[in-house]
This record gives sequence, structure tokens and C-alpha cells, in this order.
Amino acid sequence: TPVFLSLFNLKRRLYVTQAARKAEVAEPFKFPPQEVQVTKLPSGLVIASLENYSPASRIGVLVRAGSRYETFDSLGVTHLLRLASGLTTKGASAFRICHGIEAVGGCLSVSTTRETMVYTVDCLRDHIDTVMEYLINVTTAPEFRPWEVSELTPRLKVDIAIAQQSPQIGVIENLHAAAYKNTLSNSLYCPDYMVGKITPDKMHTFVQNNFTSGRMALVGLGVDHAVLKQVGEQFLNIRSGTGTIGSKALFRGGELRSQTGGSLVHAAVVAESAAASSAEATAFGVLQHVLGAGPHIKRGTNSTSRLSQAISKATAQPFDASAFNATYSDTGLFGVYTISQADSARDVSHFHYAVLPLTQLKAEYLMSVENSEGLFDAIGTQALSEGTYHSPEAITQRIDAVSSNDVVNAAKKFMSGKKSMACSGNLVNTPFMDEI
Amino acid sequence: KKYIIVLPSPKTAATGRLLFTFKKWYYNACGFNKLGLVRDDTVYENTDVKEAIRRLPEPVYNDRMFRIRRALDLSMKHQILPKDQWTKYEEDVHYLQPYLKEVIRERKEKEEWQRK
Repeated sequence: TPVFLSLFNLKRRLYVTQAARKAEVAEPFKFPPQEVQVTKLPSGLVIASLENYSPASRIGVLVRAGSRYETFDSLGVTHLLRLASGLTTKGASAFRICHGIEAVGGCLSVSTTRETMVYTVDCLRDHIDTVMEYLINVTTAPEFRPWEVSELTPRLKVDIAIAQQSPQIGVIENLHAAAYKNTLSNSLYCPDYMVGKITPDKMHTFVQNNFTSGRMALVGLGVDHAVLKQVGEQFLNIRSGTGTIGSKALFRGGELRSQTGGSLVHAAVVAESAAASSAEATAFGVLQHVLGAGPHIKRGTNSTSRLSQAISKATAQPFDASAFNATYSDTGLFGVYTISQADSARDVSHFHYAVLPLTQLKAEYLMSVENSEGLFDAIGTQALSEGTYHSPEAITQRIDAVSSNDVVNAAKKFMSGKKSMACSGNLVNTPFMDEI
Repeated sequence: KKYIIVLPSPKTAATGRLLFTFKKWYYNACGFNKLGLVRDDTVYENTDVKEAIRRLPEPVYNDRMFRIRRALDLSMKHQILPKDQWTKYEEDVHYLQPYLKEVIRERKEKEEWQRK
């Protein structure tokens, strides 16, 4: 009868609540915060990992094989390598890589800077071994089959077309091409004349010369360090040694103007600053935030930036200015990037500076390591360039150690150093470098 | 796991030579070598073979096209090549087989995946 059944259910329900209460009373499992562990293998490979108890793990292979290591006859090969991450490898076909990663809900991505190539794969913690296998295949044993590589040419063209839509990308590429004689002058994008001409042989040569274990770092977030170490020892020492040594970047301080019409002018004026490992690099970072590196309030007026305040005295038309700071392993660029109306460009290019506190740089660094991509980048780049990891506390101490003198010296170095300039847009009223 | 046991077949040198002679006789009897063709030029072009031909490196593809064109020209004129230009059985290279095997393997992999 219904009454009898409901009594039965009631008893079962009461039993369940009893059991639940017992579980609450039990001691919750403690998750002690872990430190970043860094190991350097004898083959030169640096392995860094952090157990952050996140359900999603992120593993990456960082290789010192950015666009600065391209040779003159293979310009643009890093762009094609960026697109070729999903092609057939010795252990898995392109179809299997794509569908295998998709089946576990992971994501394989590649990004290149001028100095490093980063292959990242992220997925749920349980499926790490599957995606790790694909990641190792892609970084150590790609096959670059001719028909698959030639199918990448339309994607290459689309990439280049998208990059040409953005004036900022154009100016920064031109800036590097004008400022350096070699290495760092290579663009991140494939030059037009090389589209369709990069053969699998060139790609293989580049990989052979640059994807060596002495130039790689294996970084993991949410992975066990021992597992990573085993993977690094077994699989990532196919090519040992340091590969071809890149040459030192030579700053030449040239000028490149690109007349494109339109109503705006994007201009960047820089001077050579310091290498990433030197003490001056932090001073330049502070100076960048002093001068203004983007608005602190989204869609705000950027009124706290010193640069904006200085330039707003010179012109009433809308403009945007921020300090540009790029540090590489053996050199750096520091300067100002401005976007202005065509006829006020001349007024905008004259400016002055002042000195302020360092808290903004610290806040920006700490906020950037809050999310997993920022943390991953930070661990990865430090592991690759220095072989160790500095905790955020150490970095903030370094920032604190910068005195106002250092910052003033950095600013003086910028003002007195040989300049380089790149601009694009409607250049009717834009001064030449020697006129600034 | 499957264990495949291969027993060595009790083949003497004579049997081997006999098989080779038969194969050679069959090859000549087919007659395409009289038009200067090679075995892989004559394989029927289904989708797999078409994809394998698409993947051939350019020099190999050009040679294949030349041989096929020469054969078409000869058959139009109802002629065959002089005997010294006939393709020999020993010189016949199966150039398409590696590409064809790879195409079939990829197709099977896709089908296996769809089934799961």
C-alpha cells in the first residue's frame, strides 16, 4: 500500500542523511600549496612544473626557435611551422592528432615570439598521457609531408592578410626590421615572396638545427614533476646539444615609413634598452609604467599616464600614446608608441617625462601570473632563458630594488640613445626621425 | 595479443627460379611493356589510387604522364615500340605502392574512428 511504501522510503532517506552527516564530520583532505620545481637534465632540457591542484592541466614545450633564428634563405619558416603543428608525425597521422585531442576535450596551440616557439596543450588532468604523446610527437618527430605542407599555403595567406589589417602589427614588424640588422629584424610573419616557396626540406633543416634538447624547456601546470621528468628523459632527447648558435642582434637604428593613407598615423620611436638578464631591464619596465602602458580602467581616458598628460597639452585632437618596452635575451627596445590624427602627428612627437611610484609594475606582474596562461608563460620563459624560476615574491623584490635614480638613468639612456622609428598611415605631417 | 608464426617454406633454389620465370613470362604476355608502360601506370584509378597519384613527387608524376602519353600515341597509330625499348620485368619499379599503401592506411584509420 502507498502508506507502507512511503514509510519505507522515509527510513531510507533518514539513513542517507545520517551517512551524509558522518562524512561532514570527517577531516577534509588538506591541499598544501606547492612550490614550482625546476630540474635541469644533463641533455640541457629544463623541466619545470607546479602542482596547482587545478582540474585542468597545461603542458608546454618551449623551444628557443623564434623568428630570430631563421636564416636568410628560409625567412618565414617559423610562420609555417606555427601552422604545421597539426600535420602528420612519425607516431600519429594528422587525422589522429586532431580527433584524438578533440576526443579528450583538449587543445593544442602554438605561439611564436621572436625568440621562442611555444607548443601548449591543455586538457583535463586525467587525459594528460594521451595529449602528452601527441605533444611529444609534434615537437620531436614531424614529417612535413609535401602534400600536407602545400595545403597550408592558403592558411598562410589568410594569416598574412589578417596581420595586414592591423596597423599596430605592421608598425611593430617595421620597427624591428628598421632597428636591427639581423636576427631580430626577421618578421614573425612570412614575407610575401616566400609564400608557397618554403619546402619541407627547409622546415626539416630548421627543426634539426633549432629543436634540440639544450634549447627546450618542458613546463607543466597541474602535473606531477616525476612524470614530466620521465617524459623529458625518454622522449625529448632525440636531438641533443645546442643546435646552431644564433648571432647577436645588432642595433642599427633605422627608419621605415609606410604610407597607407587613412586618417590616423601609428608611429613608434624607440632606442636600444637593456637585455632581459641585466639589472637595467627592471628599470625600463618601471619607466614603461611610469610613462603609461595602457589605461588602468577599461575604456577609460588614460588620464593618469604621464605621456597622455604631456601630449594633451600639445594637441586637442584625440590620440593615444603608450610606452613600448620589448626585452630580448641580448638586447631590448624602449620607446613610445603613438596613434594620432594625421595633421597633429608633428605635435604629438614632442613630449617630456616625469618620475612616479613602482606599484603599477608590481601589480601588473602579479595580476599576469594569476591566471594559468600568465603563470605558464612566466614559468616557461624563465625556465628557458635562465634555467630557474623566480617566485613572484622575488620578482616584486627586484622591482622594489629599482630606485628612482635607476629609472631616471633609463630614461636618459632612451633620450640620448640612437633612435629607430617606424610609422604608417597618412604620413603627410609626420616628421622624419632626424626632425624629432 | 596475436602471435604470428612464420614457418619457412621448403623452397629450393629451383622452385624460386621457376616462380620467377613464370612471373616474367606472365609480365611479357600482358603486353603493356611493349607500349613502354610500367605496371603501376596501368592500375585502375579508383579514389585511393587517384589520391596516391596526387601525392607523387613532381619528377615521378611527369615520367608517368610521359609514358602514358607515349602509349596512347602508339595505340592510336596501332604500333608498338621497337624490342630494345620494351620495359623489362627486372627494371619495373612499383613507384605508386608506398603512396597507395599510405592512402589506404589513412582511409582505414578514418573508418575505424567513425565506427567507434
